[in-house]
Amino acid sequence: MASMRRLPTVETAPARSFENETELRLADIPLRQACELVRIDLPHDELEPLLERGVLPGCELCPVWRSPSGDPIVTVDGTLLALRREMAGCLCVRLRAGSGSPTAEGGLILPST
Amino acid sequence: MSSTPLADAAVSRAPTETTTSSPAVVERPLVALVGPPNSGKSTLFNRLTGLRQKVANYPGVTVEKKTGRIRLDDGRELDVVDLPGVNGFSARTLDERVTRDVLEGREPGIRSPDAVILIVDVTRFEQQLMLCEPILEMGIPTQLVLNMSDELERRGGSIRPEALADELGLEVVHAAVRSGRGVDAIRRFLHGVADRGALTGRPCPAVSNVPPGVQLPMVDVFAARRRRVRELARKVAYAAAAPSEMQERLDAVLLHRVWGPLIFLGVVLLVFQAIFTWATPFMDGIEWLIATSGAWVAGHLPDSWVRDLLIDGVWGGVGSVLVFLPQILILFLFLGILEDSGYMARAAVIADRMMYRVGLQGRAFLPLLSGYACAVPAILAARTVEDERDRLATIFVTPFMTCSARLPVYALLIAAFVPDRRVLGPLMGTRAATLLGLYALGIVAAVVTAFFLRRTLLRGKSSTFMMELPSYRVPSLKSLGLRLLDRSKVFLKRAGRVILAMAVALWILAQVPRTDGHAPPIERSVLGYAGHVLEPAIRPLGFDWKIGVGLVSSLAAREVIVGTLGTIHGVQEADEGSLQLQAALKRDLDLGGAVALLVFFAFALQCMSTVAVMRRETGGWRWPALQFGYMLALAWGGAWLANWLI
Repeated sequence: MASMRRLPTVETAPARSFENETELRLADIPLRQACELVRIDLPHDELEPLLERGVLPGCELCPVWRSPSGDPIVTVDGTLLALRREMAGCLCVRLRAGSGSPTAEGGLILPST
Repeated sequence: MSSTPLADAAVSRAPTETTTSSPAVVERPLVALVGPPNSGKSTLFNRLTGLRQKVANYPGVTVEKKTGRIRLDDGRELDVVDLPGVNGFSARTLDERVTRDVLEGREPGIRSPDAVILIVDVTRFEQQLMLCEPILEMGIPTQLVLNMSDELERRGGSIRPEALADELGLEVVHAAVRSGRGVDAIRRFLHGVADRGALTGRPCPAVSNVPPGVQLPMVDVFAARRRRVRELARKVAYAAAAPSEMQERLDAVLLHRVWGPLIFLGVVLLVFQAIFTWATPFMDGIEWLIATSGAWVAGHLPDSWVRDLLIDGVWGGVGSVLVFLPQILILFLFLGILEDSGYMARAAVIADRMMYRVGLQGRAFLPLLSGYACAVPAILAARTVEDERDRLATIFVTPFMTCSARLPVYALLIAAFVPDRRVLGPLMGTRAATLLGLYALGIVAAVVTAFFLRRTLLRGKSSTFMMELPSYRVPSLKSLGLRLLDRSKVFLKRAGRVILAMAVALWILAQVPRTDGHAPPIERSVLGYAGHVLEPAIRPLGFDWKIGVGLVSSLAAREVIVGTLGTIHGVQEADEGSLQLQAALKRDLDLGGAVALLVFFAFALQCMSTVAVMRRETGGWRWPALQFGYMLALAWGGAWLANWLI
């Protein structure tokens, strides 16, 4: 519907919040909050190990534990992966609506907030 | 996966990039087992080969080559290679490069595989099936094994393997290899492989994460593949397993902020306890066995230098190697249980931040802990550290871990020089405190060395540390047993051969030059001469020529010094408990010299087996030479300081 496309509120408002969302890093996400990977801020030659382990744009990440030293342990589409917090700082994520439901591949039972 | 023409993957197709395998003579067909880590590959390998397996090295690299022989029930035989667990086919890690080379038929010494069994953990279906596409693009006959199907069903998940077989165009087995389910179907596939026989002159296509010729950025290739896998999962009605409460509860405790490190510490202390106390009765038993068998053989041989060489030199050398076997086995039994149960990954995570601060990483925890039994298998275990700089740093500091061979020397000197008093009431005496101090000294030296190493020779940011946490499992006794057998073979062959050779060489040096067909007193032998030559260099440390002889002989293997000192002082049956020997030492050394000797042993690299293994693992003499020199300098300096201060 062409008229909708010209409405400034539809165009500008989501754009701004979209920008804010992509600035969210995995390191900022609280425990048990599912999110979706948007972008990996790493040089090209460091990407492959992440990609191979399923850390791809579009995958679901959910921090479930913090190691005793504070590094996050996340589920990547259900598989537990421990990362250093420096790495978590390079992963741009977006909050997933409706977090708290079980995900594919056996995601954890998350408490409803 | 309908967007790529994979339906005819079972038949060889014309590949885009080929290297031709060398034409083979009549040979057994080769099956390659491929899959991610923790998918049950090794369990399947063990099941199919039983004891008919061999572990070696791929030439030039430190990756283990596990090959075996399968005997089918009609008597025909196949070769099988258990490839390292991989998450992909990049060129980054050694494991992936070797897997790729073997699959492409480029690995010298292994013919190109005639069939592939791809085994995945079906509870992680979507993630692990990502490996399928690159494999299928090779066009080698493939069977897909969906392992851990029992766990999937137990946790309420499901899949339709027939639908998957239809979609992919290959055999799919719904299996639980540990309990034997699905193994029949796998054997039927192997029958088919044997029927086809060893294929010769077949072109071997390349296998890689990004298909050759594709120009898209890697992220897009992976993302597209992931979408295809997701679509496939939908088509085969894959229902994921529900989360396991038991796994979560275990992690809640073992990764807990307070309990986690405490349990970690408890596990480490348990390992030490095992090495110390539980191994002792076995070690005593072996010593008795060696002594009595040696005496029996001696009684049956004529009196001659050949007999002496055989009994004192060779048999004594064999004994000095075998006596450490109980400690090695107990340690590796423990570590095997920790690894197979899934706890080791958590331990690596707990240890990582601490190790990162000193220039190592969490995966180095396992090799360093192993070093408390023996540095030789520990250095081999460092292969699990993927980043090369981290691995070298780990290898470099492993010998600082107080290995079992240092214990007899420590025990002897502590018994002779440290009075037995209480320090912490009934909890600890001065002797135990001294021993603990020596252990701590080793750790401090390791930490400082790693710290400076990573800032000088091995400078650079270490690669990303990522640790997949596998599910907790009850370890299978069979694979534990097989691994134990394998590791003891490694110890006996690697360490054993060198120690034995050196023991014999030392014995010879102590026996020449002969006068009238009799051995010279030790002062006038070549060994004694070496001690005298060394004396001026070690006098500032409080040592005399007799200690010098001991030091020279202990360069081969540390514990040898006890026997050597015994021989010098004419003490029969010299071991660390010998009061005669202790008294003799008190005449040779003062307290300062004794402490200096302890410090020397804590720091010096007195183990030719370690040097030999280091040479293999680092591919040259540069690193072992550097390490030997560094540790010698540290030992000399530390001993001098100790002698001067006390």
